[in-house]
Amino acid sequence: MAASSSAKTQPAARRRATSPGSGEVEVIGEDWHVDALTPIGFIVAGYAAFVTIAAVVGVVLKAPRPKWLDQLAWMLEILAVVLAIGALAGWSAGRKPESLSTFLGYVGALVCLMPLALQTMRTDRSTWSSGVIAAAALATGVVAVRVMMVR
Amino acid sequence: MTATSPAKTRSGPHLVLLTVYAIFVLAAGARSLVQVFTRFDEAPIAYSLSVVAAATYVAGWFAIRRAANGSAGFAKIMLWVELAGVFVVGVLSLVVPSWFPDASVWSKFGSGYGFVPALLPILGLLWLWQRPTLGPTEGDR
Repeated sequence: MAASSSAKTQPAARRRATSPGSGEVEVIGEDWHVDALTPIGFIVAGYAAFVTIAAVVGVVLKAPRPKWLDQLAWMLEILAVVLAIGALAGWSAGRKPESLSTFLGYVGALVCLMPLALQTMRTDRSTWSSGVIAAAALATGVVAVRVMMVR
Repeated sequence: MTATSPAKTRSGPHLVLLTVYAIFVLAAGARSLVQVFTRFDEAPIAYSLSVVAAATYVAGWFAIRRAANGSAGFAKIMLWVELAGVFVVGVLSLVVPSWFPDASVWSKFGSGYGFVPALLPILGLLWLWQRPTLGPTEGDR
């Protein structure tokens, strides 16, 4: 983790490995940092896209917002919280984001967006309330990607 | 806001517009605050325009909220102002790039936000154009 943190603090740095015997240094990765949080970031972004599509389908079909869409949204929120905790853990372990205020802003938005959207639509189960969930899910996915980029 | 709301806001596409505006209030507002308070000297014009964009989104949110409750005059003005702002700043960022050493919210017609800033006022105006009018006592869907 310490080595990976130092790599992240130098944007142009690449991860390298030494081949046994030959002593050659081989580039095994570019700027995109690969660690345990990366797959979680992809999962959050992918699941957010899925929730967005499900909600948009609900709007297109002009159906009242189903209960399961709320459950999908809350599941997305749980994943977002896991990603936020992981990002904050990386920060507390020594990873230095380029802009701390930007990083913390994205983490806050990641966690707060979906609950706010669900709260404002709590009593409204009309077709267009699914559109609100779609917008919030899309924004959550985008913010998740941004968190992965700026952390 | 409640003083201008004769009844509960009815459901409709404006809910999605309000959500997107709220997200942009958050995004543009936070971005402009960080830019202004941490590195304003680097790109004063661009960062000032980010503040203008954030203020426009706040006004746009209230304007759409009012329009949903039957008072569309402010929304018509604000959405045209917003569209003009995106267009002017977008053109300036392409014609005079030296004014924009760092991007603002509306630089290159909002390319940093997937061109949503350019689409948003257009969608708002389309909604205003074909929105149903509220009855005097009707408020719910």
